[in-house]
Amino acid sequence: MKPLSEQSHYEVLEVPRDCGPDGIERAYRLVLATYGEDSLASYSVVREADAAAIRERVETAYRVLSDEEARRSYDVGLAGDHAVSEAPEPAEAPLLRSLPTAGGVEPFEDLEEGGEYDGARLRRARLRRGIEFEEIARKTKLNASYLGFLEEERYADLPPRVYVRGFVMAFAACLGLDPVAVAASYMRRYDAEQPRQRRRFSRGT
Amino acid sequence: MSAVVGPGAVRSGRVAAAGTLARALPVSIPIGGGKGGVGKTFLVANLATSLARAGHRVVAVDADLEGANLHTCVGVPDPGPSLADFVAGRVNDVASLLVDTPIPNLRILAATHGHFDHAQPGHSERVRLMRQLRELDADFVLLDLGAGTHPAVLDYFMIGEAGIVVITPEPTSLENAYSFLRAAFYRRLQLAMLSHRVRDVVTLAMDERNERGIRTPFDLLREVRALDPAEGARFVDTMRAFRPRLVVNEARTAEDVKLGFSVRSVCRKVFGIEAEYLGYVNHDEAARHSVRSRRPVVEAYPRSDAAIYLERVARKLVEGLVRPGASREAAP
Repeated sequence: MKPLSEQSHYEVLEVPRDCGPDGIERAYRLVLATYGEDSLASYSVVREADAAAIRERVETAYRVLSDEEARRSYDVGLAGDHAVSEAPEPAEAPLLRSLPTAGGVEPFEDLEEGGEYDGARLRRARLRRGIEFEEIARKTKLNASYLGFLEEERYADLPPRVYVRGFVMAFAACLGLDPVAVAASYMRRYDAEQPRQRRRFSRGT
Repeated sequence: MSAVVGPGAVRSGRVAAAGTLARALPVSIPIGGGKGGVGKTFLVANLATSLARAGHRVVAVDADLEGANLHTCVGVPDPGPSLADFVAGRVNDVASLLVDTPIPNLRILAATHGHFDHAQPGHSERVRLMRQLRELDADFVLLDLGAGTHPAVLDYFMIGEAGIVVITPEPTSLENAYSFLRAAFYRRLQLAMLSHRVRDVVTLAMDERNERGIRTPFDLLREVRALDPAEGARFVDTMRAFRPRLVVNEARTAEDVKLGFSVRSVCRKVFGIEAEYLGYVNHDEAARHSVRSRRPVVEAYPRSDAAIYLERVARKLVEGLVRPGASREAAP
């Protein structure tokens, strides 16, 4: 509930004090996009001049927090400031405590323990982590349309089986899932379904 | 938040309301969003069904008196008694208007057959209605709010601390959602502020083109503090107590999923309001089919993507109520 000018770098990026480098990076990208020029989330309530000021503040916060050494010395200064400024207003504490839990970009806890990994589940896992096909394609060097076919289970449009297994493993690894377990589950379904799709395909032509 | 308890505790009456050992009050969850067509009724029908299927006793209230169709979404073709009977003064006891649905544990208070000319109840009727809703014999009372920022809609949104705002990834939805959030917050403030002068400034701020240039709750807080520091403190308390929850409906891309986090950031940075991102529901043809078959998707197609996401939102909602703040620990 503080104006931007009084917020710490952590509050500006909306991350907890113990946030790791990956979390800082993701939060930075999210906040920057939120106040970007074409942002759907902010265009109607934030004037461009204010958005620019927020972006500048976000850049400063990121520069400090993404640099290990700069962050350490900033933390030392922050600890000193807090001892002075927070004492007179104890009512502020609950809010400050609630902020670190609202880091924002961590994925859902996986609520689908057990069960098989089909295309729809891969898609859910991907969306939950906020990852686009292009990002996975960049990391894995896989064609983005193949990733779509994996999710849609369009087996007939995919290359031979041996490649599919590799694709699934790479896809799963990008989502932070166990590649071996996911591939084993996905391929069981593939082996059961793929001959049927092929039959349908050959009858249709 | 009062009566924030595990539903099991609610049923067994272990949790006392207002210091008595009487039956605990239901948890009220109003669901709004400003814009029509974003899926408020769909969300109410499905969250109510999810909660009922999990064993909670649920009442879903159609508070959209000018566009009532919640009954259709839960498979009740003609509910008979309706909230309109209460508005027209034909019935005094809201509990007598509840109708069973095909879903065990789920009853509805429909809003069919309203008066075209004066559909909305007046202020004192609204107060009486909300008091009765808060005392219904149920674990959860979900309210389906109409579109817009009519004072009646804003009042219904205040029935619980845990109001949900539904957004879709479209500019129109976001514009209306922000207007709705601001209006709901100002309405709450008007009732919380004691000084006439401060209340007048709040009323002024409700006009988006006001001459003082008050655009956000932050601007308003500055004005209020200058006028009366004690009221400034009350303002901050009201601000902290206002914790709307967000649900993104019709999400198609990862960008759409992130929108909830972005809106939360705007609420925090621009309005000073701590919103909570409860979750999202992806675009799914199964949802359309379920509406056509007049059944909630969580019941008609429980294995569909939409149903899985809705169940997740329902679980997070209950988790957050059992352990306030718990659902804030993990993001959607």
